[in-house]
Amino acid sequence: MNTGFKIDCIGYGLFAAFVLLVMPWMVDFSGYELNSYARYLALGMVAAALALSWGTAGILNLGQALTFGVGAYIMAMHLKLRASESLPGGMPDFMGWTNVEALPWFWQPFHSLLFTLGAGVLIPVGIACLLGVFMFRGRITGVFVAIITLSLMLAVQLWIISEQRFTGGENGITGLAPLNLFGWSVDTYELSFYYLVAGCLLAGLAVGLGLVRSKAGLVLRAIKADPERVRFFGYDVARYETLAFATSAGIAGVAGMLYALVLEFASPTYMGLSISLAIVIWAAVGGRESMVAAALGGIGVNMAEGRLSDLFFDQWTLMLGVIFIAVVLFLPRGIYGLVATARDYLEARYTERVAMALNREQDDAARPVADRGEVK
Amino acid sequence: MKRRDLLKGVAFGGVAGAVSLSGFPGIWTGRGTVLAASGDIPVGVLFSQTGAVAVVESTLHDACMMAIEEINDNGGINGRMITPYVEDPASDPATFADRANRLVRRDNVISVFGSYTSASRQAVLPVVEGQNNLYWYPTLYEGRECSRNVMYGGAVPNQQQQDFVPWLKENFGGRFYLLGNDYVYPREENNVCRMILDEIGGEVVNEEYVPMGHDSFSSIVSRIRRDEPDVIFCTLVGDSDVAFQREYRSAGLDPDRMPVASLTRSEVEVAAIGGDAAAGHFSSAPYFMGHESAENERFVEAYLRKYGDDQVTHFVNEAAYFQVYQFKAAVEALNGEELTPTAIRDAAVGLRFQAPQGEVEIDANLHTHLWPKIAQWQSDGQAEVVVESDERMAPEPYWAYEGQVCTANGLENA
Repeated sequence: MNTGFKIDCIGYGLFAAFVLLVMPWMVDFSGYELNSYARYLALGMVAAALALSWGTAGILNLGQALTFGVGAYIMAMHLKLRASESLPGGMPDFMGWTNVEALPWFWQPFHSLLFTLGAGVLIPVGIACLLGVFMFRGRITGVFVAIITLSLMLAVQLWIISEQRFTGGENGITGLAPLNLFGWSVDTYELSFYYLVAGCLLAGLAVGLGLVRSKAGLVLRAIKADPERVRFFGYDVARYETLAFATSAGIAGVAGMLYALVLEFASPTYMGLSISLAIVIWAAVGGRESMVAAALGGIGVNMAEGRLSDLFFDQWTLMLGVIFIAVVLFLPRGIYGLVATARDYLEARYTERVAMALNREQDDAARPVADRGEVK
Repeated sequence: MKRRDLLKGVAFGGVAGAVSLSGFPGIWTGRGTVLAASGDIPVGVLFSQTGAVAVVESTLHDACMMAIEEINDNGGINGRMITPYVEDPASDPATFADRANRLVRRDNVISVFGSYTSASRQAVLPVVEGQNNLYWYPTLYEGRECSRNVMYGGAVPNQQQQDFVPWLKENFGGRFYLLGNDYVYPREENNVCRMILDEIGGEVVNEEYVPMGHDSFSSIVSRIRRDEPDVIFCTLVGDSDVAFQREYRSAGLDPDRMPVASLTRSEVEVAAIGGDAAAGHFSSAPYFMGHESAENERFVEAYLRKYGDDQVTHFVNEAAYFQVYQFKAAVEALNGEELTPTAIRDAAVGLRFQAPQGEVEIDANLHTHLWPKIAQWQSDGQAEVVVESDERMAPEPYWAYEGQVCTANGLENA
């Protein structure tokens, strides 16, 4: 077990304590705010997903909200079908509006909960793999990756808005039934739902950390530093990049499913430009090098947004803007960077002192016995 | 210091920080603004003042707040003041849901006034239905909704089209070119328009949808020139409406021969289009700023005095204004009984109020009986009402759908 992994584990443990104990404690383990907090956790999760591809592998995915939104729509489709059981043909109301004859084939499988839960992970992963194959085999890097992911997301968003017969269009998929998870009817204002979201977040982070600290993670960090050199060593760079990209997409998909559950609707704004850029900001504020830090960034910024908008009705966006600028200017590695620097500094001091102590001992050892006073 | 000690310190600091946070619950869970004094009536005000649709939606906020202030200045409701809890949902559906939650679950408001777009209304629905609260929605919309937790203050398709489409056919001819933005409202209005045209022997020469915000209309204008319709039946909104009307004008089309008949164009859009380009075209709505009535004069005068002479009143902020008075009348009717959203809703049914557009009434299906008007735009940016319905028109949100009726028991299939 190396030091990096140990530090990761400690950070993860602290984060878990924060999410499982401190956050619910702040609202006395009850109340409507648990629902907001669950929402923040879902957003923190997608920030962590971005950190996995951006911070570890250096792939800046400006379309992270695509897989997030796809997850949300998948969950919403299942819940919409449950809510539409009594309607003619079991068809969602908006399909009746736009004169659709029968439930389209690609809606059919979403009657099944198991299929839905699987699809919420695997379809985002599939999208990422497909995109990854084209991008990374073509050795596309840097800003071009950002442009491609961003434009793909916007294209999908436009498609969803225009195909309202099948997608609910601009309004999204609304009027959902509550989720029934193997006999447990989920109430999104309950503590148990909050813990469901928290559990998914922690599981997602565990998967991500596992990847980062595996051998594949080492290769990914090497790729981030210098892809050419890694290629010369004989590694299949594209495959590793796709792995990180797809894992990140899967985590974002789960986050999206949770987000749709919290808000009880899916909307094309979930895969919009503004949320996608917001995800980048959250990850940057928390620190993109660490998934836990990025998740904390997502949670913290959204919490601050919630509180600031409450306390300072007019000026809160300005205040938030100032915080972002300050972070980018003074903490380019985010809050994680601050912690890491402090840690390195203390570590350096510590080793220095150890070295000094060792030196002194050596000096002592070199001196004649008679000079050592009490030592006989 | 060994690393283990350092980490212990960090862990301790984290816990200490958390303790200090929970030691100030006011910062995290309390309300920033003043809490309602006992006896006051808490209501939520949820209109976007920032973001994409803020230009229009903020005027609904203004009209709503003006009504609340007027009521409070005149002694409140049975001596109780209305306390507005204002939130800015920033034109984002997710934020709408979040802020509605705050209002309904934390601030315990007994009604929320809010929303302009359908998307935002639908985002709020799970919250108000889940908590059985009451949402006062002032905008015209596509109908086909029958929530028992929403008071619909705007027109539904039958109230905008039942008189309008036959009138257009009579005056200009029955060949219609349907043009709208691609979302549910235009599609539904056009479904209804087709039905009416089928009935009265008109025809649809083309039906076209452009994406939201689309603003280049040269090819559409040339298709219009080719098809030579009698009427351009228009449900474009916002920037698209403005861009289309300008393109129409610069192409030299003639409003006397081929007028644009809009369901969505109000004084706000015309101000952006420019009076000259909009002049001669028609809109159908229950209210126009130029409508002549004592109530409207008072409303317009008070509004301009409060928010500036460059402002306009229009068919959505008029509803945002009168809905507060409907709320007041319902609370008065309860006469000291316990104020709950459901009690207010039930008391509101059948209430009449002399609104700027005329005397409106709340139907058992929670939509509003309104006064449809047809108006022609003038070059000064105002509308001149040319046809005024001589009776209040009942709202039928499922008008186009045989066998479905929205009643006091919700949606019923006959």
